[in-house]
Amino acid sequence: MKAGGAWRPRLASRARLKFDPIAKQEMLLFPEAALALNETGAAIVRLCDGIHSVKEIADQLSNQFDSADRDALVREVTEFLETIRARGLLQ
Amino acid sequence: MSPAPRPYTLVAELTYRCPLRCVYCSNPVDFHRSRVELATGEWCRVFSEAAQLGVMQVHLSGGEPVLRDDLIELIQHARSCDLYTNLITGGTLLDEDKLRRFREVGLDHIQLSIQGAARESAEIIGGVRSHRKKLDIARLIVKAGFPLTLNVVIHRLNIAEVPELIALALKLGANRLELANTQFYAWAAENRRALMPTREQYDSAEEIARDAIAMYRGTLEIAFVQNDYLSGEPKPCMGGWGRSYMCINPTGEVMPCHAAAVIPGLRFDSVRDGALGDIWRDSTAMNAFRGDDWMMEPCRSCSRKEIDFGGCRCQAFMLAGNAAEADPICRLSPHHAIVESMRTDSGPDDKLIYRDAKTSRALSKAIRSN
Repeated sequence: MKAGGAWRPRLASRARLKFDPIAKQEMLLFPEAALALNETGAAIVRLCDGIHSVKEIADQLSNQFDSADRDALVREVTEFLETIRARGLLQ
Repeated sequence: MSPAPRPYTLVAELTYRCPLRCVYCSNPVDFHRSRVELATGEWCRVFSEAAQLGVMQVHLSGGEPVLRDDLIELIQHARSCDLYTNLITGGTLLDEDKLRRFREVGLDHIQLSIQGAARESAEIIGGVRSHRKKLDIARLIVKAGFPLTLNVVIHRLNIAEVPELIALALKLGANRLELANTQFYAWAAENRRALMPTREQYDSAEEIARDAIAMYRGTLEIAFVQNDYLSGEPKPCMGGWGRSYMCINPTGEVMPCHAAAVIPGLRFDSVRDGALGDIWRDSTAMNAFRGDDWMMEPCRSCSRKEIDFGGCRCQAFMLAGNAAEADPICRLSPHHAIVESMRTDSGPDDKLIYRDAKTSRALSKAIRSN
């Protein structure tokens, strides 16, 4: 299993982020299914470009969302990434 | 009446024409009657209207959608509506050049059917020599950069190949493998006795699939679609009638699923005669089994009615003679005994009935004269 702050996740080619104008939220679309994302989830997915490491993603989010607890944020980001990785949405 | 739910998925059956002759085909047995397919502009209008209604994903299906010579234009338009666009194909008519052009116009994903892991059995099922070509195409799809789902309809003649199918999907670099046990409608219902696996075969395949699902999680997504006769669990068919799915057939009729035409008395409105939103919301067919007002006992008072929606309406009609009954797959159905007898009513030596226009004409005549 890939884990830790050095992992540089990249969104799988079969997954696509799309803003849903009806529910007014970001959706992660992939074959036969979709995940509704909150603002943080969408921000994380946008940074899954194979360039940013998990640590860097957490850094960017802490600036963006003004989070005080850095360690908790890294944990949250890692957990979220694990969830979508298990669904085959990261490569 | 409560407001119509939001549709998320559109299955666009662009044509019933197909070079394959699969014995499990889900197209209606009388498909040869549907001649005048929607024109390019009509499909484009449908995609635009679907996106406005909230549809997120469109499956371009058939028949063989690659037979449409406007397919590039249809993909391009679906993508311009920001729909997640999936091509469901048998692959035999694809080549590198077509794949490159699909890529250029933004096709998101390709689902390729194969009929088995071994050439001989696969070609018996598909009725055409195509297995090697399909494997070549699978490699080209991955090479072109497309995410690939391999879809295999599973039945008695290939169910022993599940381990080889998993190995093949891994070798080809597929992202997803659908081990879709046969659903017994249309041509598959005609061939039910030949296609029904034994209890032992089914349980073994399910166990192998279950282990593989866990083993390859994150690498290869494996979906094992149950054979409801053998699982004994009524399926939440289409996620409930007219709730989130719509299917539009080649002549433009809007249906809750591709099989619904077997239910007598339903009139399907065509996008040729009205706006998609009006049809989705108001047509009598889309409303026939929406919600739960139509339910009879044992469904009406059942704690699972919001989980399985009473199972499949088409199957209720086919097995119980009334589409508003509980799906007889459910052990609480008064008609459940028929399912129990059909589980073991197999005919491995039965002659297979192949899906083609000539057989379609013959079977339609038989339906009419009954």
